[in-house]
Amino acid sequence: MLAQAHTAALLGVDGVPVRVEVDVAFGLPSLTIVGLAGSQVQEARERVRSALRNGGFEAPARRITVNLSPADLPKDGTGYDLPIAIGVLAASGQLPAVARLASCALIGELALDGALRPVNGVMALVAAVRDAGADEVVVAALDEREAAIVSGIRVHGAASLAEAVAHVAAVRVLPDAVPPSSPEVAALSGPDLADVQGQLVARRALEVAVAGRHNLVLCGPPGVGKTLLASCATGLQPALDADEALEVSRIYSAAGLVNRTRPLVRERPFRAPHHTVSTQALVGGGPRVRPGEASLAHRGTLFLDETLQYRQDALEALRQPMEAGVVTIARVDGALTMPARFALIAAFNPCPCGWLGSRRMACRCDDAIARRYAARMSGPLRDRIDLWIPMEEPAGAGSVDGVEPSDVVRRRVERAWGRQLERQQSANAEIPARLLDGELLQRSAARLLAQRGRRFHLSPRRLHRAMRVARTIADLAGSEAVRGEHVDEALQYRPPVAA
Amino acid sequence: MIGTDAGFDIADARSADATAERPYWIALSLVPGIGPVSFARLLARYGSARRAWGAGTRMLADVPRAPAGATEVLRRLRRSGPMVITRGLERQLRLLGGQLLTPLDAGYPPALGSVAAPPPVLYLAGDAEALHVPAVAVVGTRRPTGYGRSCATEIADELARAGLAVVSGLALGIDGEAHQAALAADGRTIAVLPSPLDRIYPPRHRDLAARIAVSGGALLTELPPGQPVGRPDFARRNRLIAGLSRATVVVEAPDRSGALLTASAAIDIGRELFAVPGPIDSRTSSGTNRLIADHLASLVTSPWAVLTGLGVGRGERPVVAASLSESEALALGTLLRRSGSIEELVTRTGVSAGALAGALTMLEARGLVTSYGGATFHPTLAARRIGKGR
Repeated sequence: MLAQAHTAALLGVDGVPVRVEVDVAFGLPSLTIVGLAGSQVQEARERVRSALRNGGFEAPARRITVNLSPADLPKDGTGYDLPIAIGVLAASGQLPAVARLASCALIGELALDGALRPVNGVMALVAAVRDAGADEVVVAALDEREAAIVSGIRVHGAASLAEAVAHVAAVRVLPDAVPPSSPEVAALSGPDLADVQGQLVARRALEVAVAGRHNLVLCGPPGVGKTLLASCATGLQPALDADEALEVSRIYSAAGLVNRTRPLVRERPFRAPHHTVSTQALVGGGPRVRPGEASLAHRGTLFLDETLQYRQDALEALRQPMEAGVVTIARVDGALTMPARFALIAAFNPCPCGWLGSRRMACRCDDAIARRYAARMSGPLRDRIDLWIPMEEPAGAGSVDGVEPSDVVRRRVERAWGRQLERQQSANAEIPARLLDGELLQRSAARLLAQRGRRFHLSPRRLHRAMRVARTIADLAGSEAVRGEHVDEALQYRPPVAA
Repeated sequence: MIGTDAGFDIADARSADATAERPYWIALSLVPGIGPVSFARLLARYGSARRAWGAGTRMLADVPRAPAGATEVLRRLRRSGPMVITRGLERQLRLLGGQLLTPLDAGYPPALGSVAAPPPVLYLAGDAEALHVPAVAVVGTRRPTGYGRSCATEIADELARAGLAVVSGLALGIDGEAHQAALAADGRTIAVLPSPLDRIYPPRHRDLAARIAVSGGALLTELPPGQPVGRPDFARRNRLIAGLSRATVVVEAPDRSGALLTASAAIDIGRELFAVPGPIDSRTSSGTNRLIADHLASLVTSPWAVLTGLGVGRGERPVVAASLSESEALALGTLLRRSGSIEELVTRTGVSAGALAGALTMLEARGLVTSYGGATFHPTLAARRIGKGR
């Protein structure tokens, strides 16, 4: 007999609907899974068999063939256990004919005792089966809250195979899961700008950077507060709005990093991968594509402390998401994209010993070595930086009065965001180049920028970046027009000419 | 001909039969291991380069640190003969736009007379006249602070305007700033290279070297074309920098800096030494500050203090007219009193960091301030002239 069940496969951060076809035929007892099933799926044979037996069902001693369709899509993960098990029951006549297998999708891993376990990326999977036409979906009880975030489909959490079977057979219908109410944003735990000593320029540049979601470089000797300042970035930005929260939660769900009791991510991500991170871990990829740090920092901040210590290929791999806002991974069977619209904060020392250009300590690096070190920030990467701030030790012990705490700055940033969204529905850093040459700048400011560009030998790309930053500075000042003074301030934060 | 153990008398050298002797000087100087000191010793022992050459490989007994291959090279050189060697070398130099000078030639800089072991052969590109202009050396660290760069520029500018040639070593940092300022003031400048003329070191200053050679200045070196550069060459050229100059100004130098070798060379031959003081917490100025503390160098109190010390009048200074906005004038006025970062300017002017950042970009664009890529801003020469024009 033949049966079909519906589920979904995880590809990056997106789900792809998958049909599970089960055929139970006479022959030597066996369970074969075909359809580019990876090793995790192959192991489903043992889990399904045991779960059926221990869950109070019969594991048919027949020749069972399972096909996962589309058969040319490589599949991995453990979420196929439940649809396979129920498919086997249906195909072997253990389910009453009323089974709603056509409209109820199934996602979950089975334990040997028949309990249902959570899987990664449930949000994306549920959205995929919904888009494929399913009216309801059964997931593991632990995945219920996460799955319920997805609207437009009824979600049921089942603790065991038996519960899931009872639901599908309409013997005992499971209650609908309630979508989690939007959680309160917890008080931000990061450091406050008031904790940062001095560094008025870097502080201002950080404000401009977060206000327009621009990329920022902090370059200076050890101990001047680069890391502390960067850690303040999240506290200066408003929490994720509802749409952003969905996008970000989905990525965290796919990465298996979601908090299952509070699955909706509301805090703006701040990712600070260690400098030994591999290229795959940074931008995502691998045989089983998982979102990398760049995607985990989507809508938030990617902080690379000691940026020049990172592997060169890892740094270069960031260029594409910095430009496009998505990570594209080429695979044998086509390209796969994952969102990665992060704002980069890169902090590093100017040379290996750290003291180049410092007054307090003499730099001990060989000239050629220092130059090679600085060159790790390659030209193309440097071209994608909006603000570049050289930092040095605070001038004196006397601190400046009236240093603003984070929430004062955040209120200004929130107003600037409001202006940007109203005007162009995106952050200033994401304004496409074709819009820049139009009416973005006042005519006099545009002339000034062109003049400065010739004077400082700036590339057209650099001028575009300066325009976006000037737009943000004007937004912070509450000015609809971008004036010369905004352009000049933006240009002050330009990267130095490469040595 | 009588020579001391450490050197030889230039006047003595010229009195010899110069035309006949010259090719032997050149050929002898090409033998590995025969540096200025050995050369002088050979002259003293044999009386002339010609007779030393005649002694063949026996003369290497008087060269204490002759490398293993020296005998072989000498044999090969002797097979060609001094005339052929000289003609070949001169042809090679002409292609590089250069020439060679021995103490037998009238063009050899007289100021080198008092140097211990003057080089028997100098290779020169550019204007040989530059070697006969009164000169002052401006030297310092390869990794200066903005303060050092700014001082080097101003001092070299004053020197060049007063008609003095600015001597330095073409190195990155202070040396480069000094050469550039002299060129910008339409002055002569002499770069004493640690490398041969056919491989300018550092490569990043190739353009600068070319500009020096075509604008009345000179590139000078002791090394024949094609010679690989070794570490001691850097130290050796420092004595030439000091020797060519009436005075040496050390702008910024940490302890154990090459610039301090130039300073001690100047002291050794009794030339004037000046040092620019730096902040006492600045490692980059610890060497110069020590020179002053030890009474080895005169304290430079202003960019023209060197001129005053040498009794030379200041050159003409053009006055620049400029109109500035209020915040720009405030920022520039504050910087003219003392260079500083935006942060320091905020505390000194009360203007916000953002507004100052904008004002400084404008001042940078107009060439009135520069940060040399760091956080501290310095007024430029042009800015100082506005200050004086008022």
